Amino acid sequence: MSDSKGTVPLIVDGKRLDGRGIEDLRNLRIEVGIIPEADGSSYVEWGGNKILCGVYGPRECIPRHDASPYHAIVKCRYMMSPFASLEEHGRSGPSRRSTELSKVIREVFENVVIAEKFPNTQIEIFIDVLQAEGGTRTASITAATVALANAGIPMKDMVGSVAVGKAGDVLVVDLNKAEDNFGQSDMPMAISSRDKKLLLLQMDGLLTKEEIIQMVEMAERGCDKVNVIQTDALKRFYEKGEEESIKW
Amino acid sequence: MDKKIVLPGEKVAEGRINAPNTYSDGTATYAAVIGMMDEEGRYVPLENRYKPTVGDVVVGMVTDVRHAGYEVDLNLPDGGFIPTRDVRLTLQLGDFVICKIKSVNEVGDVDLGEVRRLPKGKIIDFPSAKVPRLIGRKSSMLNLLKDYSGGDIMVGNNGYVWMSEKCDMPLLLKIIKLIERKAHKSGLTDEVANMLKLEKGERPQTTEQGEEYV
Repeated sequence: MSDSKGTVPLIVDGKRLDGRGIEDLRNLRIEVGIIPEADGSSYVEWGGNKILCGVYGPRECIPRHDASPYHAIVKCRYMMSPFASLEEHGRSGPSRRSTELSKVIREVFENVVIAEKFPNTQIEIFIDVLQAEGGTRTASITAATVALANAGIPMKDMVGSVAVGKAGDVLVVDLNKAEDNFGQSDMPMAISSRDKKLLLLQMDGLLTKEEIIQMVEMAERGCDKVNVIQTDALKRFYEKGEEESIKW
Repeated sequence: MDKKIVLPGEKVAEGRINAPNTYSDGTATYAAVIGMMDEEGRYVPLENRYKPTVGDVVVGMVTDVRHAGYEVDLNLPDGGFIPTRDVRLTLQLGDFVICKIKSVNEVGDVDLGEVRRLPKGKIIDFPSAKVPRLIGRKSSMLNLLKDYSGGDIMVGNNGYVWMSEKCDMPLLLKIIKLIERKAHKSGLTDEVANMLKLEKGERPQTTEQGEEYV
């Protein structure tokens, strides 16, 4: 509460509140295949976010009238646990916010999954936010990509996702809760790893055209970092068979 | 680690090649599912969804008996169908069958033929991408498993594995789990052979020790 407006400075000497530089990500840890009953699953810890993701399908499309004879339908259900954050998120039923997030995450994967191979079916992505600390939609996309790869669902590309925002008049990558709530602007983005296609872009706050161009470039670099960790997690999981000897 | 893991979107070949679980943009071919490059530089998927193709041998369970035919669970989004006019045998709900895929249409409806009923046993789900490893070169792995478990085993391309009730189920399940986990490793048949020998050799010893305490 240092300046006259009664706000905390978000950037001090080029460092952020949690000691990160402007382009540093929070700690990101990904585990693969942690729900044995699901076709594919992942668990992501990104800063204070804890996200569990399970993927099922392609399987019979229910309700039947949703099915398309041309391609598989991608469905996504994002849910924030009632205990996930400081704010009240109520009971776990659908809300305005979770419906929006389910939609934007679904649209990311509709562009990536090669659905034409599975007519009359659905692919379901279930995302549960167990703990939230800003940037759950980007963490959810990161988790769902890994779970889809684990499920063996054909995809054109891996998707990395990161938010870039403006806090304390400085452009920063991977906003935490304080920067998201008290910063000037927030722009989550999802970018495919190989051909760098922009699959999600939302914006909150005010930005100039130049800033946005710069932020997309920053997001590309951030997504590359996320992709390295995703790749690492999947490789670790699939190579584990090599080291792990059978337990009799 | 000589084998490289390939993720969706990674380049697997120059130019357009026609391989399952890949896609191409004209100049290069990319992986669509997680896989690995084998010694000859070919792309082998590690996970995939079974896509029914004509001529595949599949194992399934009868889930519905109707006048026109039988509905069979094949571990697919929609089951397969055995038309009554094509088969002489009468099947019952819950029967295990092994059959050949006769036709597949555009939306993935499967018609089955050459049906054989399987005797009493158990069906387990095995990843279809790893089925070739469970069979082995010239069925080496499958014959090994049949010899040691003492019963018959049938493997369908769809990933369903039927085991006769005569089989040593606990041993077999353990070995199949091992094959599933180490499917991408070379020398797997030898390793499984050793494990089976060890298991068979140790078994009498443990029972003797157990009897001492009794």
